[in-house]
Amino acid sequence: MTYAGPVTAETLLAAQNPDGGWSFARGTSATEPTACAVLALAAAGASGEPVQRGRGWLLRIQRPDGGWPPRPSIAQSNYVTSLALLALQGNAASDVLRRGAEWLLNQSNRDASTIYRIRMMLLGTRRDLPSEEAWSWFPSTAAWVTPTALAMLALRPWRDSPLREPVRKRLASGEAYLWSRLCRDGGWNHGSSKALGYEADSYPETTGQALLALSGTRDERLPRALAAAERHLRACRSAEAASWLQLGLLAHRQPLPSVPVHLSRPRTVLDQALSLIAARAAAGQNPLLEAAHAA
Amino acid sequence: MPHDLTRRRWMLASACAAAGAGCSRRPLPGREPRVSVRKASYGSGLLETVREVLEEHKVPLKDRHVVLKPNLVEYDESTAVNTSPQLVLAALEACRGLGAASVRIAEGPGHRRPAWDLAEAAGYFGAIGGFEDLFVDLNLDEISNVTLAKSAPGVSSLYLPHTILRCDLVISLPKMKTHHWVGATLGMKNLFGIVPGQVYGWPKNILHWAGIHESILAVNSAVPAMFTLVDGIEGMEGNGPIQGRRKHAGVIVAGADRVAVDATACRVMGIDPGRIRYLRMAETAGQTEEGNVRQIGEEPRAVRTDFELIPEFRRLRLSPA
Repeated sequence: MTYAGPVTAETLLAAQNPDGGWSFARGTSATEPTACAVLALAAAGASGEPVQRGRGWLLRIQRPDGGWPPRPSIAQSNYVTSLALLALQGNAASDVLRRGAEWLLNQSNRDASTIYRIRMMLLGTRRDLPSEEAWSWFPSTAAWVTPTALAMLALRPWRDSPLREPVRKRLASGEAYLWSRLCRDGGWNHGSSKALGYEADSYPETTGQALLALSGTRDERLPRALAAAERHLRACRSAEAASWLQLGLLAHRQPLPSVPVHLSRPRTVLDQALSLIAARAAAGQNPLLEAAHAA
Repeated sequence: MPHDLTRRRWMLASACAAAGAGCSRRPLPGREPRVSVRKASYGSGLLETVREVLEEHKVPLKDRHVVLKPNLVEYDESTAVNTSPQLVLAALEACRGLGAASVRIAEGPGHRRPAWDLAEAAGYFGAIGGFEDLFVDLNLDEISNVTLAKSAPGVSSLYLPHTILRCDLVISLPKMKTHHWVGATLGMKNLFGIVPGQVYGWPKNILHWAGIHESILAVNSAVPAMFTLVDGIEGMEGNGPIQGRRKHAGVIVAGADRVAVDATACRVMGIDPGRIRYLRMAETAGQTEEGNVRQIGEEPRAVRTDFELIPEFRRLRLSPA
């Protein structure tokens, strides 16, 4: 069964701004909803002019450093670079994509640096520090589950490219980071499974994202993580979270639990796009993984 | 007359506390910041209590565009993580009744992305009629870059949401909670929720790297006009702000001087505000000392309900009354 709400490609097409991008709900275009809308529409077969205009909007706002800003008015690349890359894979000049991939490869979490770890040790700070290189939301900050999962998806197509060496190293490190953040209940939260030594529980959306990024990997902890995702999906009330959980479970060829759920209405373009993407995945085509293999 | 504050003086009092504007370390006699402590419950009298508090502080509401900023973090029915929707509803109706031109409810949760779903799970949709049209997810709002009046290390400006930048008054509606990094989270820390996740992420980790205490002051300096109304009816003790236990304190704490309000709320919680670093850094008129705050309603020591502190913060315990 699919948990997608009454969202269709037309819902997204109607929300497109005149400049070709999409806003989160209303207002000016932003990178994250635009990238997700492009992915959803392309997967739904609406590959015509609206999708091209969406890609064109993304191409116009790539920054000189190779990354993407969350909005055109913001002079800073951040985690949305991964989504822009996913939306443009196979549909942009190789130089555009390569510069984006290189921006991601140049991003490293500050909390994994040797200097920082030594400093924290000397200060006697009880922090649950990762030793693995992963990705942060914003440059020069700590690693978290969502930006790590998105960056891993965006870099997967580059495993056999001239960038394969650093890409494979970072994918392995990202995978190790995700497993190191596993919560006591088998899922993932934002990335703090312990704070001051206290165990924390997982969230549904981040559990789905981590499982999606770990598609194709093997680990003895995977069955427990899949069970946590299934548990979350049975109780889930959030449309966004349910979409990520579906994507995560389907990436590991898991059947979706056929229980009635009362999901919230997908309110933002992001929710709507994710619902469509999840619906495509349930029909056998996971656009985030296929985008990742398209380059 | 200290009670007879003009609008200009009210704004000045609020803005001084926001910016740490170099006011004297002691208030002038008769000019002490005023903080209300009122016994309250989530029952039918809450609207009247909130209205009385807003009136006794002469909060400038008439024809003003007001944003109510609750604390929405996660949903766990077994504890008290979020500001109660009943208090938000009471503040909404009180502001409307006192002539506000518009009232929005806005929050940008720091850990969970689906803010609407969080609000729904926390009971906001059920309790507040028309909530869907009133709510703004500050993580996804339109934003502009703002140079901060008070910077934190490495953070001299922030992108901030238009809903906050373009309103006349923010009413901070925090939950009274312990906090495992800074000791207590109240009205000032609640403003972390205005920093947009679309730029800085979930959590807004740039603030932690700049220093949480310094960042609390920096973010507050971007919001000069603020009134604080602390939901201390039911708070959280222990390993707050998420994993602690529900704690009944049965009060609301309110005022225009955000440092004085948070300091008073600390005293109610049995926490010494003078040992909370961001309050010491922010005080402009000795607000962390009880004698420098004029209390209205209940005396904090009369309603003091010691919140359990994790071992790392037991040193914050206020001496017995």
